[in-house]
Amino acid sequence: MARKSDYKNRIELVQGTLDMLILQTLQWGPRHGYGIIQALHTQSGEVLQVETGSLYPALHRLERQGWVRSQWKLTESNQRARFYQITAAGKKQLASDQDRWQQVVGAIAAVMQVKPDGGEQ
Amino acid sequence: MRLWRKRANDIDEEIATHIAMATADRIARGESPEAARIAVLREFGNPLLVRESTRRMWAGEWIEHIAQDIRYAFRQMRRSSAFTITVVATLAMGLGATVAMFTVVERVLLQTLPYKNANRLVAISESGRRGDDHYVRWLDIQQWRLKARSFEAIGFFTPATGRPFLEGNTGAQQITHQIVSANIFHVLGVDPALGNGFTHTSEVFANTGNENSVVLSDAAWRECFGADPAILRHIVKISGVSYTVVGVMPRGFALPVPSTSLQVWTPVALKDSDKTRTGQSPTYRVIARLAHGVDLRAANAEMNVVQSDVAKQYTDSYLRDLVVAAKVQGYGDSLIKPEVRRALLSLFAASALLWFIACVNVAGLLLARGTGRQREIAVRGALGASRRRIVQQLLLEGLLLSTGGSVLGLALASALLKLFSHGLAIQLNIEHAMPGAKSLAVLLALTIGTAVASALWPALTSARASIEPALRQSSGQAGVSRSQHRARSFLVVTQIALSLVLLVSCGLLLRTIYALRHVPLGFRTDNIIVGNMAIPTFRFTGEDLNAKLYMPLLERIKTLPGVESATLMTEVPLGKTFQMVFSFSAEGPSPDSVKRRDFRAQFRAVGPDAQKVFGFTMLKGRYFNDADTASTQAVLVVNRALVKEFSQTNDPDKVMGQQLLGLGKNRPAIVVGILDDTRQVSLADQSAPEIEVFLPQLTPDSGFYKAAEGIAMDVAIRSSRSPSTLIPELRALMTHASPELASTKFSTMTQIVEDSYGSQQLVARLLIVFGGSALLLCLSGLYGLLTQLVTQRTREIGVRVALGATRSQVVWLVIRQAARMIAGGAIAGLALAWFASRLVASYLYGVTPHDALTMTSVALLLAASGIAAASLPAARAATINPVEALRAE
Repeated sequence: MARKSDYKNRIELVQGTLDMLILQTLQWGPRHGYGIIQALHTQSGEVLQVETGSLYPALHRLERQGWVRSQWKLTESNQRARFYQITAAGKKQLASDQDRWQQVVGAIAAVMQVKPDGGEQ
Repeated sequence: MRLWRKRANDIDEEIATHIAMATADRIARGESPEAARIAVLREFGNPLLVRESTRRMWAGEWIEHIAQDIRYAFRQMRRSSAFTITVVATLAMGLGATVAMFTVVERVLLQTLPYKNANRLVAISESGRRGDDHYVRWLDIQQWRLKARSFEAIGFFTPATGRPFLEGNTGAQQITHQIVSANIFHVLGVDPALGNGFTHTSEVFANTGNENSVVLSDAAWRECFGADPAILRHIVKISGVSYTVVGVMPRGFALPVPSTSLQVWTPVALKDSDKTRTGQSPTYRVIARLAHGVDLRAANAEMNVVQSDVAKQYTDSYLRDLVVAAKVQGYGDSLIKPEVRRALLSLFAASALLWFIACVNVAGLLLARGTGRQREIAVRGALGASRRRIVQQLLLEGLLLSTGGSVLGLALASALLKLFSHGLAIQLNIEHAMPGAKSLAVLLALTIGTAVASALWPALTSARASIEPALRQSSGQAGVSRSQHRARSFLVVTQIALSLVLLVSCGLLLRTIYALRHVPLGFRTDNIIVGNMAIPTFRFTGEDLNAKLYMPLLERIKTLPGVESATLMTEVPLGKTFQMVFSFSAEGPSPDSVKRRDFRAQFRAVGPDAQKVFGFTMLKGRYFNDADTASTQAVLVVNRALVKEFSQTNDPDKVMGQQLLGLGKNRPAIVVGILDDTRQVSLADQSAPEIEVFLPQLTPDSGFYKAAEGIAMDVAIRSSRSPSTLIPELRALMTHASPELASTKFSTMTQIVEDSYGSQQLVARLLIVFGGSALLLCLSGLYGLLTQLVTQRTREIGVRVALGATRSQVVWLVIRQAARMIAGGAIAGLALAWFASRLVASYLYGVTPHDALTMTSVALLLAASGIAAASLPAARAATINPVEALRAE
């Protein structure tokens, strides 16, 4: 039987980073879901492929928390789509996420650079 | 909710947009529309799942699921309507019985008294050599008020003697008239809705000078005075005496509770006899409010000290022995007899047991259905339903079923209460019992409890089953695990055992009823109509009721067509309307005089022709006859029990000719006849000593006349005519004699005897209903399981038959399985019944709680009906055609 957790774990992103990435892409203006996937894909040098099964739940979760706001608008090609826009609370959240991310990256880098002290050889 | 639903639709559109844009992009990059669409869909994944998991981000998603599940469950229920009806009916039996019993328990045991902080109110009684006495002399109450510190306030009340009538705007109405202390409403913490009530100070609580004032109950005010708002300061007449109305109590107030008639209260007028401590001193029931911070234990401790002083002030040592201690008890508790409490709780337990049996039965049914639905559930699982969701769905189905059971059960409960309304009114004083708010709350809790108790286990079992094997099977038939069979057998055995407990109790009560029906009554009961008269004594003040009312009435009744004979009696045997108890007075502390004063006899005044109506059987001597008149020798008739009690022998000659009492000054009465035992008070009680006097010999100057004639009188008529046609004619005659007699209550002697089987009858009938339902349920459980087993073993049985098994061997195969379950259930059930039957022990008459005959015959009955239920599937198994059975798959 299928489990709910299947869809959370499918993307190979560090836990909790998807929210930060979405907020980051929204910094430069409102985007729709497809646009966000595209943006993450190109900005990551075509490495990150976010699955819809993760993106949409995440977007709606962010909206429920008040970090993004959504609105139906027309795209340049005259297609009606839901555009997501970052809110003030979302910006604050993004800043704190970024800080924490920097810390984590720094800490992991520090650990990875330590040379083994030979005890196990 | 609406906002959320809009959001749910949005998600679908959002997904569609996403797919459209992605496809457009691919086409722009040069792919063919068809290839683009397929690639996008593959890339996107399962849109339904994306939608589901996105929706889950929003609160309210679970509501959608539940709504879906309910719709689904409804479809399921409609599709298998036979199953649904079985389950709903089964649950309704258990739920209906439990709710009906709870309604009764609530009305009797959990009633909230209509007083302020009623849990602080206590009853104070005196106790001594002859047990508790709730009626206390005024001097003692006065002492308690002066000395005890445990009480904030002490009040008292007592019913006025005689049959009071309140003269209202539309004639006189019979009422209940209570003589109360002036502070009683203050003690109870209830102010009149109209007026100020009695004036009182904390020091003087009786005799405040306004004893000609009256407070009316709301019902009396409405019924007698049409709720006249200007009733205050009006003069009203109670049995001819004038009182000024000083208050009307709020609706729902009653003292004492429960009120069965219109009540009025007047302040006590203390007389000289109140300032004595003799056998003749008036007595009152005492109700008090505990002082702040005092509990029952502290109050009891203090009262025992106080009472030892009070007892010393009794000069009569006989009376002193009766009041050596005092007892403080919650007022609500003092109103319920312990045996009634025990009986009700046992019956409630019995109904709860029936409920539990019903749940077990339904659990078995749901388990069986879960087996049949394995594939359906497996498909749901394969399509992505989570285990939690499946359990939730099955539980919801259980909840819907139990809701259906509750609705039907409520109707059943109402029907049950209606069916037993006569018994409830007679035995427990409950009129118009219907499930109220509390019962509905209990029903709601039970509904949820039922769903959990019956559906949880089957739901978990279903959800735990693995998907793959269920899907791979070609038919739903073969996939039943051994453990499931064992589980269902266990459920059936449980049902059998629990049903047996109910059936044994029921059997014991039936034996009791049988024994009671064969108690020699000592009088005839056939073709006798009894009228309990509401005698308007106040209309005949100063006149001889005998000459003015009774005899002319009796003469007229005798002229009615079809009336063979008619008589009067202060109370017919077993009447339970009015009891007069006779006791001797004696002087001195000698053991002989104590024995004489301890002696109690039922006292009854009877009219001419009583022998013709009731056909009393005489042990010795004669009954009263027309030769006994006011001017001849006064005579008495006693019964065999009196002979035994009075003379400590069985020799009637010791009492014949004895002068037991006098009918007036210088008018000694001698015993001329001894009745064979009659049961006067209760069938189950041994016959009590009784003294009868002859009405024509009682003149208004006799003390017995004053005590009896104006208060209670039953008319008993022997006639072969049907009561339904005779009673209206009798009522018309009575109304003609005096308008108040129109409210005479008519019954038949057969009914009165029936009513005096008393609580036994009620308990027995309820247990028959409960036990019968339980038997039905456990038989249906057994039948259902065996039928399913036979269906599942069709192939196996076919093989057996093909290999040469005879029909009887096949039948035996099924019966053996049934017999094993029945035997297991019966042994466990008998063991349980051994303990449970003690609960009904106090209701038994002529049979012991561990009566071997009852236990054996009930077990045999269960076994026989169990085998009968099993024989149907067994017969079906025997007719299995091996060729068809083997070819079927």
